Amino acid sequence: MKRIKIYIAFALSLSISANAFSQSINWKSLDKEQKHIININAGAEYGLTAGAGYGYQLKSKMPIVLNVEHSFPAGKRLMDDFKTKIGGYIRLYEINNFQFSAKIQGVFRRYENSFASLLNFGSDMTGIAGYYKPKWFIAGEAGFDKAIVTHFKHTAAYKQNFPSVKDGWYEPSTGGNFYYGLQTGFSFRQNDIYLKAGKLVSQDFSTTPLFPFYLQIGYNIRLK
Amino acid sequence: MKKAKLCIPLLICLISLWSCTKENRITEEGNLVPKTVEQDPTLPSISVNGSIFHAETFGNPDSAMIIVLHGGPGSDYRYLLNCKAFASQGYYVVFYDQRGSGLSKRHPKSSYSIQVMLDDLNGVIAHYRKSPAQKVFLLGHSWGAILATAFIDKYPAVISGAILGEPGGFTWSDIEGYVTRSRDIKITSELVNDFLYSDQFITGKRDEHAILDYKYALLSVADGDKDNPVGNEGALPFWRSGAVVNQALFELGDEEKPNWTTHLNQYHTKVLFVYSERNKAYGQAYAQKVSSAYPNVQLFKVNGTGHDMISFPTGWSNFYPVALTYLNSLK
Repeated sequence: MKRIKIYIAFALSLSISANAFSQSINWKSLDKEQKHIININAGAEYGLTAGAGYGYQLKSKMPIVLNVEHSFPAGKRLMDDFKTKIGGYIRLYEINNFQFSAKIQGVFRRYENSFASLLNFGSDMTGIAGYYKPKWFIAGEAGFDKAIVTHFKHTAAYKQNFPSVKDGWYEPSTGGNFYYGLQTGFSFRQNDIYLKAGKLVSQDFSTTPLFPFYLQIGYNIRLK
Repeated sequence: MKKAKLCIPLLICLISLWSCTKENRITEEGNLVPKTVEQDPTLPSISVNGSIFHAETFGNPDSAMIIVLHGGPGSDYRYLLNCKAFASQGYYVVFYDQRGSGLSKRHPKSSYSIQVMLDDLNGVIAHYRKSPAQKVFLLGHSWGAILATAFIDKYPAVISGAILGEPGGFTWSDIEGYVTRSRDIKITSELVNDFLYSDQFITGKRDEHAILDYKYALLSVADGDKDNPVGNEGALPFWRSGAVVNQALFELGDEEKPNWTTHLNQYHTKVLFVYSERNKAYGQAYAQKVSSAYPNVQLFKVNGTGHDMISFPTGWSNFYPVALTYLNSLK
């Protein structure tokens, strides 16, 4: 039953969500024939991170890119913490060179240290508005990253301190952070290089994460 | 329309599936962190200065009293329980989790101040002291040594002696400097992502103590990490971290820039000031600088140990005889 519940959470998160830390697209330089977008990126997002992604442009009236992304933070144990996102990127409006788009993604992420391992299903939603030219773009973005349901499993080290700790799935939502910032990029032939940066604030708007900023530099190659 | 008719029962089914299993609630005390004395009356406690404190004593209540002050702010006394050994040497040893720390009662962030922490300590002394002739010693570690010094600076006549273990400093600028040095960790290390990455999984509002304390406890793995410059042998045992009091007192320090040395020159009793061999953020020169605020100091380096020298076997076996000799000289 719990498994079903997790699937539902993930499905719901896909349907309602999006992200600041994932790849940026210059809509003005994206050709309709360019179906595949491959991305690599590095930056700082709750730690020093690196990631890669793949996007597929649908044949549709309104430009839509479905994408999958994976990132992980620096450290000796590269597989213990990671984040995978699956979702879509849609350009909603275009008025001359001004464009408005939204990104909606479901998130699956993991965290581990000597006391606990955490598995989370969440959602990430971003709204982006900017000025796009074929060779460059600049845009503002704002979004919400929500940790919908989380599984906690504790190690013997934590249980030595608190033997009665309850492992399992936890609700209601265990967390959420808003973010806002700027992104800019330069496009040439089938390539984009972009930079984005901004600030994080917890969902109660009165506290911030320990590192309350994000920064990402990324590279896209667009292929037919 | 047909689609809409299908969607409604489907939605009801989904909601039913969602609600038919009982999940753990992250805000509930006792799930991820233990209950405090407020929620669990079976825990040993005292009521002092308008709050309830998790507290225990060992030894003869009429003997000279040693009050053990834990670090943090926001840690608890579990990691200092080696100090129970003083009870068998003719001392009355008092442990308490400070306000908002360990298993003591939680309070709103705005209610914390240095003065209320000093009033609590005054209240604990008054609660356990049998007569005005009973000597009172303070044994403070890290933040506990700062609290002990703030108390001596204000009430020097009450205290018959003090053992101070690696206080970050007695002025805000010293404390800031020490905290910066003690967090000098390589940015690409596992320890950094252990610290930062959990922020996207767990966020708590200001009054959600169970969540905030748990999150703070996850960060305490850093205490025993070999990349940590403080040089500990391992992670410290604890009951429950006090996230809100920790943040409140750090913010107050930053705002008020306290200096707890203004009257220390009037305290002529010898103070035992100990520092560890392995803490790269401390060292002899800094120990000399910080301890020089006291006119009469016995400085002692505890070999083979890091910042939490009282908790681990090597540090304790080197610290204990020196501390006992010091206390006996003033008893």
